[in-house]
Amino acid sequence: MSHVPELKLLFARLLPMKNGYNVTRRGVRKFSQDVDKSSSVAKGSVTPLPPLSEPMPNLPPVVYSTVKSEESVTEVTTLSNGLKVASEKKFGQFCTAGVVIDSGPRYEVAYPNGICHFLEKLSFGATHKFATRDVMLRELERHGGICDCQGSRDTTVYATSADSRGLEAITQVLAEVTLRPQLSAEEIEAARQAVAYELETLSMRPEQETILMDMIHSAAYKGNTLGLPKICPKENVNKIDRGIILNYLKNHYTPDRMVVAAVGVDHEPFVEYVQKYFVDMKPTWHSEDSESFTPKVDKSIAQYTGGIEQEECEVPLYPGSDLPELSHIVIGLESCSHSDPDFVATCVLNMMMGGGGSFSAGGPGKGMYTRLYTNVLNRYHWMFNATAYNHAYGDTGLFCVHSASPPNRIYDTTLVIARELANMAGKVGDMELRRAKTQLQSMLLMNLEARPVVFEDVGRQVLATGKRKPPSFFINEIEKITSEDIIRVARRMLSSRPSVAARGRLAHLPTFDEIQSNMSLSKSDASPQGRRLNLFRA
Amino acid sequence: MLKVATTLRLVSKHGNQVRALATAAAYKQALVNVPPTRLTVLDNGIRVASEDSGAATATVGLWIDAGSRYEDSKNNGVAHFLEHMAFKGTSKRSQTDLELLVENMGAHLNAYTSREQTVFYAKCLANDVPAAVEILADIIQNSSLAEPEIERERGVILREMQDVESNLQEVVFDHLHATAFQGTPLGQTILGPTKNIKKISKADLQTYIKTHYQPARIVLSGAGGVEHDRLVDLANKHFSGLKNTALDVPELAPCRYTGSEIRVRDDSMPLAHVAIAVEGAGWTNADNIPLMVANTLIGAWDRSQGGGANNASFLARAASCENLCHSFQSFNTCYKDTGLWGIYFVAEPMQIDDFVYNLQREWMKLCTSVTENEVDRAKNLLKTNMLLQLDGTTPVCEDIGRQMLCYNRRIPIHELDARIDSVSAQNVRDVCYKYLYDRCPVVAAVGPTEGLPDYTRIRGGMFWVRV
Repeated sequence: MSHVPELKLLFARLLPMKNGYNVTRRGVRKFSQDVDKSSSVAKGSVTPLPPLSEPMPNLPPVVYSTVKSEESVTEVTTLSNGLKVASEKKFGQFCTAGVVIDSGPRYEVAYPNGICHFLEKLSFGATHKFATRDVMLRELERHGGICDCQGSRDTTVYATSADSRGLEAITQVLAEVTLRPQLSAEEIEAARQAVAYELETLSMRPEQETILMDMIHSAAYKGNTLGLPKICPKENVNKIDRGIILNYLKNHYTPDRMVVAAVGVDHEPFVEYVQKYFVDMKPTWHSEDSESFTPKVDKSIAQYTGGIEQEECEVPLYPGSDLPELSHIVIGLESCSHSDPDFVATCVLNMMMGGGGSFSAGGPGKGMYTRLYTNVLNRYHWMFNATAYNHAYGDTGLFCVHSASPPNRIYDTTLVIARELANMAGKVGDMELRRAKTQLQSMLLMNLEARPVVFEDVGRQVLATGKRKPPSFFINEIEKITSEDIIRVARRMLSSRPSVAARGRLAHLPTFDEIQSNMSLSKSDASPQGRRLNLFRA
Repeated sequence: MLKVATTLRLVSKHGNQVRALATAAAYKQALVNVPPTRLTVLDNGIRVASEDSGAATATVGLWIDAGSRYEDSKNNGVAHFLEHMAFKGTSKRSQTDLELLVENMGAHLNAYTSREQTVFYAKCLANDVPAAVEILADIIQNSSLAEPEIERERGVILREMQDVESNLQEVVFDHLHATAFQGTPLGQTILGPTKNIKKISKADLQTYIKTHYQPARIVLSGAGGVEHDRLVDLANKHFSGLKNTALDVPELAPCRYTGSEIRVRDDSMPLAHVAIAVEGAGWTNADNIPLMVANTLIGAWDRSQGGGANNASFLARAASCENLCHSFQSFNTCYKDTGLWGIYFVAEPMQIDDFVYNLQREWMKLCTSVTENEVDRAKNLLKTNMLLQLDGTTPVCEDIGRQMLCYNRRIPIHELDARIDSVSAQNVRDVCYKYLYDRCPVVAAVGPTEGLPDYTRIRGGMFWVRV
């Protein structure tokens, strides 16, 4: 390490505390390996217990649990007001419980955008039962609990993990924070500042994913549902107030749009607690006329439009690294909803495209033989990354590839990505298909090792379909995918108009028409190899 | 890669799943809702330890008692170099074959080197455990170490070094070790100096393997869908060829701790990155549990957490209310016979002095007047942090491997729980008095450090005259 030589110099200037300030020792100091007993900490312990390498005496005997390999079943109960309760048993002392709500920026069309961003910041605040956030967190802490709220475009998730014996307490906390928040003036002010601070840091950070995902959705679903911004627009930061938020909650946090789910608990007591805190106790916005109140929700189906969204700006550099400035491009296509029969094939295709960073660390297994590595990153060394994503929603989906490169290469980068997308409708190798299927299966199972992931999977599936399909169902579905399926979904996607989002210095960005013409289906029938060869004739 | 992953892990030592005991009902059997960890020692000394949860996926790995501490100034960097060579092919299969084999299984291979441990592990579907063990055995026994690959990796490592240098936290921790353990192998960096990387040869790598990859120093750890007996059979099949050639585990010289400091002042940087620590306890020392409770009492905080008014840590509350820093994190890094216990923080130049003042006041409170109530809250948090960390097969496998190397056993969860429960405020005060009070700290700082108090002033803050 290059600072090591300097360190040697620095050593000479160190204060050798135990020897006093003896400058004559500089440079000739001998580092004896003998430990100087007088200044060093005594090696024994002051804790009256044996070392950690030896068992503690007088512990009671224990009974360990044994392997229960039968696949856990998800139990679902619908309560009188339409609220669904789902739970699943799992190994371990901890449980994860939470509320999954059909709410997010896609429903904000009649409101100032950014409410859900505010709600995320306001989550787990003061409620009717818990006078302050502090009191509530102390209650969670008593059961070894932690909490967290995350929203996507169409779903908001409030989750807690805690000792299973604290289930009643955390169910109460969940009910309080979702149905009976105080939303005091101070809290809303604090949230406003947090949102403003986040907007500021977002513009200063080199990571562009959050902004780019808003942009590509806005290009794909211009002005409707999923195209609405997830990040609160600057002009709305000072516009959103308690009235607006409460009105939104009243219309969207309704029992039929919610699932209370838990992993690692028994179903019966859980249902009982949910009944007690979610049904018997009423929400903040409950009033006398609530019986006749009909919530107004934007029920429109997402309209895919395609198009381009670009922002000419300076993208911040990674601090302290020698990476050049980057321009970012995302090209998207309409894929399908998660209930569509082609959904699994789309996921396999996503895995086959794969990709990642051009110098990401890690050993084999990160997808080094996916197409975005073998066809793109390994060939075009100037590309910083190329990664495929598939966002699936209830009524539509967006398949996209994100890539970044220095601004003077953005033209080539964009066309390489466009042609690689067009190439999806071309030949599918047996090896690569088999690999993508196995990798998707193993990724699915590996993700489900973690309790919070299982919880979210249970909650989202029950919210969308009323039941949960077990992992084995998807494993089988993945197994059935053939190369014809892949080509069919690719052709289906490529028949849509592309969506493009670009950010950074964009002087060299190709026009939308140019991108589109490089992705048209007829072109992809030509030999892909031929096209690649004459790509850079200049 | 993950080479310093262990340095900053707040709960660096042992996660473990804990079930609280029925209070004072010692006769009652504690019910532990996790599978037991089983251990078998092979004839050649390899320890096979696993926890079978019956999951559909599994993690298996080799934890080797070797790292940069076992190097001298001439070969410093070899352990890390070997980590880089691990996936570059073996006498049985080429690099591409290895990569394709792993990718086609949907598995992941990874490796990292720390100062005292070298780790290779694979995450895979439960059915592929035999293949994964075979691959691991292959890469540590038959690595081809071909000259062209060695040359290429030199460049990669030099580039990685630049990456490390842009990560100021890693830079500060390297400085901290360099000054705290000056003149001893623990003071060396894991990557090694440039001049070593430029001249490390195939022979150096082979010598290192021969000396240090001794079966008696290797643990094969497994978690998830791993049947212990089958894992033992696999180990017998693939590792029985390994012989203990060296006479014994080389005797590790104790690493002397020296209270001292390094400041790398650079006023062009916006923020100062500072670590202050004292000598902590070695892995097996029973004082580690109260030290970790003390660690939790100081806690961690960063600006994005916003108002930390509810934080269990006084320092976090002070930091958020009085704008004392951008972030801080307390740490307890253990080695075989010593450790570093302290804090890492990032602050603006004008905040440093106030932060250090507040920090040292909290440290002194730990030594003198921490209350039972605060300690109870911290114990609860510590348990939560440890337990929640062990979600998934990889963290469990890692925990087993690390504990087998550090304690030569896996501490059963109920015991860990009992140990944390037994920590009293008096115990925390005693332990802090021993390790912290009136001790010479080590200080490492990078950036605009003008506002950081002199060493003598920091030393002066390590005791209170009024007690």
